Amino acid sequence: MASVMSRGGALALAIGIGAAIAGGGALAHVHDPMPANANAATKAAYARHANFEKLGAAFKGLNDELKKGSPDKAVVAANTKTMNSLVGALPTWFPRGSGVEARPLSEAKAAIWTDAAGFTAAATAARTEVAKLNAAAAAGDLDAVKAQVRPTGGACKGCHDKYREKKD
Amino acid sequence: MGEPAGGVRAKVWDGPVRIVHWLLVVLIGFSWWASEDHLNWHRWSGYAVIGLVLFRIYWGFAGGGAARFSAFVKGPKAIAAYAAEVGRRDVAVTPGHNPLGALSVLALLALLLLQVGTGLFVVDIDAFEGGPLSDRVSYDTGRALAEIHELSFRALQALVALHVAAVLYYWLWKRTNLIGAMITGKRTLPGDPGLAGAPVWRLVVGVGLAAAIAWALSKGLRF
Repeated sequence: MASVMSRGGALALAIGIGAAIAGGGALAHVHDPMPANANAATKAAYARHANFEKLGAAFKGLNDELKKGSPDKAVVAANTKTMNSLVGALPTWFPRGSGVEARPLSEAKAAIWTDAAGFTAAATAARTEVAKLNAAAAAGDLDAVKAQVRPTGGACKGCHDKYREKKD
Repeated sequence: MGEPAGGVRAKVWDGPVRIVHWLLVVLIGFSWWASEDHLNWHRWSGYAVIGLVLFRIYWGFAGGGAARFSAFVKGPKAIAAYAAEVGRRDVAVTPGHNPLGALSVLALLALLLLQVGTGLFVVDIDAFEGGPLSDRVSYDTGRALAEIHELSFRALQALVALHVAAVLYYWLWKRTNLIGAMITGKRTLPGDPGLAGAPVWRLVVGVGLAAAIAWALSKGLRF
Protein backbone atom coordinates (compact mmCIF):
# COMPACT_ATOMS: atom_id res chain seq x y z
CA MET A 1 0.00 0.00 0.00
CA ALA A 2 1.75 3.10 -1.21
CA SER A 3 -0.61 5.43 0.58
CA VAL A 4 2.15 7.28 2.37
CA MET A 5 2.73 10.61 0.76
CA SER A 6 6.26 11.10 -0.46
CA ARG A 7 8.32 13.48 1.55
CA GLY A 8 8.58 15.78 -1.46
CA GLY A 9 4.83 15.78 -1.88
CA ALA A 10 4.35 16.57 1.76
CA LEU A 11 6.96 19.31 1.57
CA ALA A 12 5.24 20.84 -1.43
CA LEU A 13 1.95 20.63 0.45
CA ALA A 14 3.43 22.30 3.52
CA ILE A 15 4.95 25.07 1.42
CA GLY A 16 1.60 25.47 -0.29
CA ILE A 17 -0.20 25.73 3.04
CA GLY A 18 2.37 28.23 4.29
CA ALA A 19 2.02 30.30 1.14
CA ALA A 20 -1.77 30.17 1.39
CA ILE A 21 -1.66 31.35 4.99
CA ALA A 22 0.78 34.10 4.09
CA GLY A 23 -1.27 35.07 1.05
CA GLY A 24 -4.49 35.07 3.05
CA GLY A 25 -2.88 37.22 5.72
CA ALA A 26 -1.58 39.63 3.11
CA LEU A 27 -4.99 39.83 1.46
CA ALA A 28 -6.64 40.55 4.79
CA HIS A 29 -4.34 43.54 5.00
CA VAL A 30 -4.99 44.86 1.57
CA HIS A 31 -5.59 48.54 1.95
CA ASP A 32 -8.95 48.94 3.63
CA PRO A 33 -10.35 52.26 2.40
CA MET A 34 -13.35 53.83 4.05
CA PRO A 35 -16.57 53.25 2.08
CA ALA A 36 -17.81 56.39 0.32
CA ASN A 37 -21.20 56.26 2.04
CA ALA A 38 -19.77 55.72 5.52
CA ASN A 39 -21.97 56.76 8.41
CA ALA A 40 -20.72 58.62 11.47
CA ALA A 41 -19.83 55.46 13.40
CA THR A 42 -17.84 54.04 10.50
CA LYS A 43 -16.05 57.34 10.02
CA ALA A 44 -15.21 57.29 13.70
CA ALA A 45 -13.76 53.77 13.41
CA TYR A 46 -11.51 54.78 10.52
CA ALA A 47 -10.48 58.04 12.16
CA ARG A 48 -9.61 56.13 15.33
CA HIS A 49 -7.38 53.80 13.37
CA ALA A 50 -5.59 56.76 11.79
CA ASN A 51 -5.16 58.37 15.20
CA PHE A 52 -3.68 55.22 16.74
CA GLU A 53 -1.22 55.07 13.85
CA LYS A 54 -0.20 58.65 14.59
CA LEU A 55 0.15 57.79 18.25
CA GLY A 56 2.30 54.76 17.43
CA ALA A 57 4.45 56.78 15.05
CA ALA A 58 5.01 59.47 17.70
CA PHE A 59 5.97 56.96 20.40
CA LYS A 60 8.29 55.25 17.96
CA GLY A 61 9.78 58.62 17.00
CA LEU A 62 10.45 59.24 20.70
CA ASN A 63 11.97 55.81 21.31
CA ASP A 64 14.15 56.05 18.20
CA GLU A 65 15.44 59.44 19.31
CA LEU A 66 16.20 58.13 22.81
CA LYS A 67 18.26 55.32 21.30
CA LYS A 68 20.70 57.86 19.88
CA GLY A 69 23.86 58.77 21.71
CA SER A 70 22.72 62.35 22.27
CA PRO A 71 18.97 62.68 21.72
CA ASP A 72 17.64 65.97 20.39
CA LYS A 73 15.46 67.41 23.16
CA ALA A 74 13.30 69.28 20.64
CA VAL A 75 12.51 66.06 18.75
CA VAL A 76 11.76 64.29 22.03
CA ALA A 77 9.44 67.09 23.17
CA ALA A 78 7.68 67.34 19.80
CA ASN A 79 6.84 63.65 19.90
CA THR A 80 5.64 63.63 23.50
CA LYS A 81 3.51 66.69 22.76
CA THR A 82 1.84 64.86 19.87
CA MET A 83 1.30 61.83 22.10
CA ASN A 84 -0.11 63.97 24.88
CA SER A 85 -2.71 65.66 22.71
CA LEU A 86 -3.68 62.37 21.03
CA VAL A 87 -4.02 60.45 24.30
CA GLY A 88 -5.96 63.34 25.80
CA ALA A 89 -8.55 62.95 23.05
CA LEU A 90 -8.46 59.14 23.05
CA PRO A 91 -11.64 58.61 25.11
CA THR A 92 -13.60 60.50 22.43
CA TRP A 93 -12.47 58.09 19.69
CA PHE A 94 -14.84 55.36 20.80
CA PRO A 95 -18.43 56.49 20.21
CA ARG A 96 -20.89 53.68 20.87
CA GLY A 97 -21.46 51.64 17.73
CA SER A 98 -18.00 52.26 16.25
CA GLY A 99 -16.69 48.72 16.86
CA VAL A 100 -16.67 45.81 14.41
CA GLU A 101 -20.27 46.64 13.48
CA ALA A 102 -18.95 49.87 11.97
CA ARG A 103 -15.77 48.44 10.46
CA PRO A 104 -15.21 44.69 10.24
CA LEU A 105 -11.44 45.07 10.59
CA SER A 106 -11.79 47.14 13.75
CA GLU A 107 -9.82 45.66 16.62
CA ALA A 108 -11.97 47.35 19.26
CA LYS A 109 -13.48 44.79 21.63
CA ALA A 110 -17.10 45.04 22.73
CA ALA A 111 -15.78 45.25 26.31
CA ILE A 112 -14.89 48.89 25.64
CA TRP A 113 -18.61 49.64 25.86
CA THR A 114 -19.87 46.83 28.07
CA ASP A 115 -17.13 47.59 30.62
CA ALA A 116 -17.10 51.33 30.10
CA ALA A 117 -15.84 52.04 33.61
CA GLY A 118 -12.86 49.72 33.19
CA PHE A 119 -12.05 51.17 29.80
CA THR A 120 -12.23 54.73 31.10
CA ALA A 121 -9.91 53.78 33.94
CA ALA A 122 -7.40 52.26 31.50
CA ALA A 123 -7.57 55.27 29.20
CA THR A 124 -7.13 57.61 32.15
CA ALA A 125 -4.09 55.65 33.30
CA ALA A 126 -2.54 56.05 29.85
CA ARG A 127 -3.34 59.74 29.92
CA THR A 128 -1.65 60.12 33.31
CA GLU A 129 1.52 58.32 32.18
CA VAL A 130 1.77 60.27 28.94
CA ALA A 131 1.22 63.56 30.78
CA LYS A 132 4.19 62.73 33.02
CA LEU A 133 6.22 61.82 29.96
CA ASN A 134 5.34 65.07 28.26
CA ALA A 135 6.08 67.13 31.36
CA ALA A 136 9.55 65.55 31.62
CA ALA A 137 10.22 66.22 27.93
CA ALA A 138 8.97 69.80 28.14
CA ALA A 139 11.36 70.33 31.06
CA GLY A 140 14.20 68.93 28.95
CA ASP A 141 14.89 66.20 31.51
CA LEU A 142 15.97 63.30 29.27
CA ASP A 143 16.66 60.95 32.18
CA ALA A 144 13.13 61.44 33.46
CA VAL A 145 11.77 60.90 29.94
CA LYS A 146 13.71 57.65 29.62
CA ALA A 147 12.45 56.49 33.00
CA GLN A 148 8.88 57.30 32.01
CA VAL A 149 8.97 55.38 28.70
CA ARG A 150 8.41 51.99 30.29
CA PRO A 151 5.34 52.94 32.38
CA THR A 152 3.93 54.62 29.28
CA GLY A 153 4.40 51.50 27.16
CA GLY A 154 2.92 49.49 30.00
CA ALA A 155 -0.19 51.69 30.00
CA CYS A 156 -0.60 51.18 26.23
CA LYS A 157 -0.19 47.44 26.64
CA GLY A 158 -2.45 47.25 29.67
CA CYS A 159 -5.31 48.70 27.69
CA HIS A 160 -4.56 46.69 24.53
CA ASP A 161 -4.47 43.41 26.43
CA LYS A 162 -8.00 43.95 27.68
CA TYR A 163 -9.74 45.95 25.01
CA ARG A 164 -8.01 45.20 21.74
CA GLU A 165 -8.75 42.13 19.64
CA LYS A 166 -5.68 41.42 17.59
CA LYS A 167 -6.54 40.81 13.94
CA ASP A 168 -3.49 39.88 11.94
CA MET B 1 15.12 -2.04 14.82
CA GLY B 2 16.19 -3.64 11.60
CA GLU B 3 19.55 -2.29 10.68
CA PRO B 4 21.40 -3.43 7.58
CA ALA B 5 22.92 -6.85 8.18
CA GLY B 6 26.63 -6.63 8.62
CA GLY B 7 26.46 -2.84 8.81
CA VAL B 8 29.04 -0.66 10.46
CA ARG B 9 28.63 2.19 12.90
CA ALA B 10 29.80 5.18 10.95
CA LYS B 11 30.17 8.83 11.88
CA VAL B 12 27.74 10.98 9.91
CA TRP B 13 27.00 14.22 11.77
CA ASP B 14 29.86 16.25 13.22
CA GLY B 15 29.52 18.01 16.58
CA PRO B 16 28.75 21.48 15.21
CA VAL B 17 25.84 20.21 13.09
CA ARG B 18 24.32 18.41 16.06
CA ILE B 19 24.79 21.32 18.45
CA VAL B 20 23.28 23.78 15.96
CA HIS B 21 20.35 21.44 15.39
CA TRP B 22 19.43 21.00 19.03
CA LEU B 23 20.05 24.62 19.97
CA LEU B 24 17.68 25.64 17.19
CA VAL B 25 15.07 23.24 18.57
CA VAL B 26 15.36 24.82 22.01
CA LEU B 27 15.59 28.43 20.83
CA ILE B 28 12.74 28.24 18.30
CA GLY B 29 10.49 26.89 21.05
CA PHE B 30 11.78 29.42 23.54
CA SER B 31 11.36 32.33 21.13
CA TRP B 32 7.79 31.28 20.49
CA TRP B 33 7.03 31.20 24.19
CA ALA B 34 8.81 34.51 24.85
CA SER B 35 7.15 36.32 21.95
CA GLU B 36 4.14 37.34 23.98
CA ASP B 37 5.36 38.84 27.23
CA HIS B 38 9.14 38.42 27.37
CA LEU B 39 10.36 40.40 24.42
CA ASN B 40 13.74 41.09 25.95
CA TRP B 41 14.43 37.35 26.10
CA HIS B 42 12.82 36.97 22.68
CA ARG B 43 15.37 39.41 21.27
CA TRP B 44 18.33 37.62 22.86
CA SER B 45 17.04 34.29 21.65
CA GLY B 46 16.73 35.80 18.16
CA TYR B 47 20.33 37.00 18.22
CA ALA B 48 21.42 33.49 19.11
CA VAL B 49 19.36 32.09 16.23
CA ILE B 50 21.00 34.59 13.86
CA GLY B 51 24.40 33.34 14.96
CA LEU B 52 23.38 29.68 14.63
CA VAL B 53 21.86 30.08 11.16
CA LEU B 54 24.80 32.10 9.86
CA PHE B 55 27.18 29.53 11.28
CA ARG B 56 25.22 26.67 9.71
CA ILE B 57 25.33 28.34 6.31
CA TYR B 58 29.07 28.90 6.68
CA TRP B 59 29.46 25.29 7.83
CA GLY B 60 27.61 24.23 4.68
CA PHE B 61 30.66 25.41 2.79
CA ALA B 62 33.47 24.95 5.30
CA GLY B 63 32.28 22.03 7.40
CA GLY B 64 32.98 18.34 7.12
CA GLY B 65 31.42 15.60 4.99
CA ALA B 66 27.67 15.45 5.52
CA ALA B 67 27.41 19.10 6.61
CA ARG B 68 28.28 20.49 3.20
CA PHE B 69 25.63 21.72 0.80
CA SER B 70 27.65 20.27 -2.06
CA ALA B 71 27.29 16.86 -0.42
CA PHE B 72 23.51 16.84 -0.10
CA VAL B 73 21.87 19.41 -2.37
CA LYS B 74 20.90 17.51 -5.51
CA GLY B 75 19.31 18.31 -8.83
CA PRO B 76 15.73 17.51 -9.88
CA LYS B 77 16.67 14.12 -11.34
CA ALA B 78 18.21 12.80 -8.13
CA ILE B 79 15.32 14.24 -6.11
CA ALA B 80 12.75 12.56 -8.35
CA ALA B 81 14.64 9.28 -8.22
CA TYR B 82 14.76 9.40 -4.43
CA ALA B 83 11.10 10.40 -4.17
CA ALA B 84 10.18 7.39 -6.30
CA GLU B 85 11.71 4.97 -3.81
CA VAL B 86 11.09 6.75 -0.49
CA GLY B 87 7.84 4.85 0.02
CA ARG B 88 9.63 1.50 0.13
CA ARG B 89 9.84 -0.17 3.45
CA ASP B 90 13.59 -0.52 3.62
CA VAL B 91 16.18 1.00 5.89
CA ALA B 92 17.45 4.36 4.64
CA VAL B 93 21.19 4.38 3.97
CA THR B 94 21.94 7.92 2.79
CA PRO B 95 24.97 9.04 4.84
CA GLY B 96 23.50 12.46 5.70
CA HIS B 97 20.58 14.40 4.25
CA ASN B 98 18.79 12.57 1.44
CA PRO B 99 17.87 14.57 -1.69
CA LEU B 100 14.36 15.31 -0.41
CA GLY B 101 15.51 16.15 3.10
CA ALA B 102 17.95 18.58 1.49
CA LEU B 103 14.98 20.62 0.25
CA SER B 104 13.64 20.69 3.77
CA VAL B 105 16.99 21.86 5.14
CA LEU B 106 17.20 24.67 2.58
CA ALA B 107 13.59 25.72 3.21
CA LEU B 108 14.14 25.74 6.98
CA LEU B 109 17.31 27.80 6.69
CA ALA B 110 15.64 30.25 4.30
CA LEU B 111 12.61 30.64 6.56
CA LEU B 112 14.79 31.12 9.62
CA LEU B 113 16.69 33.85 7.77
CA LEU B 114 13.39 35.52 6.88
CA GLN B 115 12.29 35.11 10.49
CA VAL B 116 15.33 36.75 12.06
CA GLY B 117 15.71 39.20 9.16
CA THR B 118 12.23 40.64 9.68
CA GLY B 119 12.68 40.39 13.45
CA LEU B 120 15.50 42.93 13.28
CA PHE B 121 13.12 45.62 12.01
CA VAL B 122 9.76 44.80 13.60
CA VAL B 123 7.79 47.32 15.62
CA ASP B 124 5.30 46.29 18.26
CA ILE B 125 1.74 47.65 18.09
CA ASP B 126 2.51 49.91 21.06
CA ALA B 127 5.70 51.12 19.35
CA PHE B 128 7.37 50.36 22.65
CA GLU B 129 9.07 47.11 21.72
CA GLY B 130 10.96 46.58 18.52
CA GLY B 131 13.88 44.91 16.81
CA PRO B 132 17.39 46.38 17.16
CA LEU B 133 17.15 48.02 13.72
CA SER B 134 13.54 49.19 14.05
CA ASP B 135 14.63 52.83 14.23
CA ARG B 136 15.75 52.51 10.59
CA VAL B 137 12.17 52.01 9.37
CA SER B 138 8.86 53.86 9.79
CA TYR B 139 6.15 52.73 12.17
CA ASP B 140 4.06 51.46 9.25
CA THR B 141 6.94 49.51 7.73
CA GLY B 142 7.82 48.07 11.11
CA ARG B 143 4.23 46.97 11.63
CA ALA B 144 4.04 45.41 8.17
CA LEU B 145 7.27 43.52 8.90
CA ALA B 146 5.81 42.37 12.21
CA GLU B 147 2.98 40.77 10.27
CA ILE B 148 5.40 39.02 7.94
CA HIS B 149 7.37 37.95 11.03
CA GLU B 150 4.23 36.23 12.34
CA LEU B 151 3.25 34.69 9.03
CA SER B 152 6.72 33.33 8.38
CA PHE B 153 6.66 31.78 11.83
CA ARG B 154 3.49 29.92 10.90
CA ALA B 155 5.21 28.65 7.77
CA LEU B 156 8.18 27.68 9.94
CA GLN B 157 5.87 25.77 12.27
CA ALA B 158 4.45 23.91 9.27
CA LEU B 159 7.94 22.97 8.11
CA VAL B 160 8.96 21.84 11.58
CA ALA B 161 5.84 19.69 11.79
CA LEU B 162 6.68 18.20 8.41
CA HIS B 163 10.26 17.58 9.51
CA VAL B 164 9.12 15.75 12.64
CA ALA B 165 6.56 13.78 10.61
CA ALA B 166 9.26 12.74 8.15
CA VAL B 167 11.59 11.64 10.95
CA LEU B 168 8.77 9.57 12.47
CA TYR B 169 8.01 8.10 9.06
CA TYR B 170 11.62 6.98 8.71
CA TRP B 171 11.56 5.57 12.21
CA LEU B 172 8.24 3.71 12.12
CA TRP B 173 7.93 2.80 8.47
CA LYS B 174 11.50 2.57 7.28
CA ARG B 175 12.86 1.41 10.65
CA THR B 176 15.60 3.98 10.45
CA ASN B 177 16.42 5.86 13.63
CA LEU B 178 17.44 9.35 12.54
CA ILE B 179 16.91 10.89 15.98
CA GLY B 180 19.66 8.84 17.58
CA ALA B 181 21.97 9.78 14.74
CA MET B 182 21.37 13.48 15.42
CA ILE B 183 22.29 12.86 19.06
CA THR B 184 25.28 10.55 18.76
CA GLY B 185 26.32 11.58 15.27
CA LYS B 186 26.50 7.92 14.27
CA ARG B 187 24.44 5.72 11.96
CA THR B 188 24.58 2.04 11.13
CA LEU B 189 25.31 1.92 7.43
CA PRO B 190 26.26 -0.84 4.97
CA GLY B 191 29.75 0.62 4.81
CA ASP B 192 31.65 3.54 6.29
CA PRO B 193 31.15 6.46 3.87
CA GLY B 194 34.47 7.83 5.09
CA LEU B 195 33.20 11.37 5.51
CA ALA B 196 35.99 13.87 6.00
CA GLY B 197 36.03 15.98 9.14
CA ALA B 198 36.77 19.69 9.12
CA PRO B 199 39.83 21.16 10.83
CA VAL B 200 39.22 22.93 14.13
CA TRP B 201 40.45 26.29 12.86
CA ARG B 202 37.51 26.41 10.43
CA LEU B 203 35.14 25.89 13.34
CA VAL B 204 36.83 28.67 15.30
CA VAL B 205 36.63 31.06 12.34
CA GLY B 206 32.95 30.25 11.76
CA VAL B 207 31.93 30.64 15.39
CA GLY B 208 33.87 33.90 15.59
CA LEU B 209 32.30 35.33 12.44
CA ALA B 210 28.75 34.30 13.35
CA ALA B 211 29.07 35.59 16.90
CA ALA B 212 30.53 38.90 15.72
CA ILE B 213 27.73 39.50 13.23
CA ALA B 214 25.03 38.52 15.74
CA TRP B 215 26.60 40.80 18.34
CA ALA B 216 26.80 43.74 15.90
CA LEU B 217 23.14 43.28 14.96
CA SER B 218 22.11 43.05 18.61
CA LYS B 219 23.69 46.48 19.06
CA GLY B 220 21.59 47.79 16.19
CA LEU B 221 24.88 48.36 14.34
CA ARG B 222 25.56 51.28 16.69
CA PHE B 223 28.99 51.14 18.23
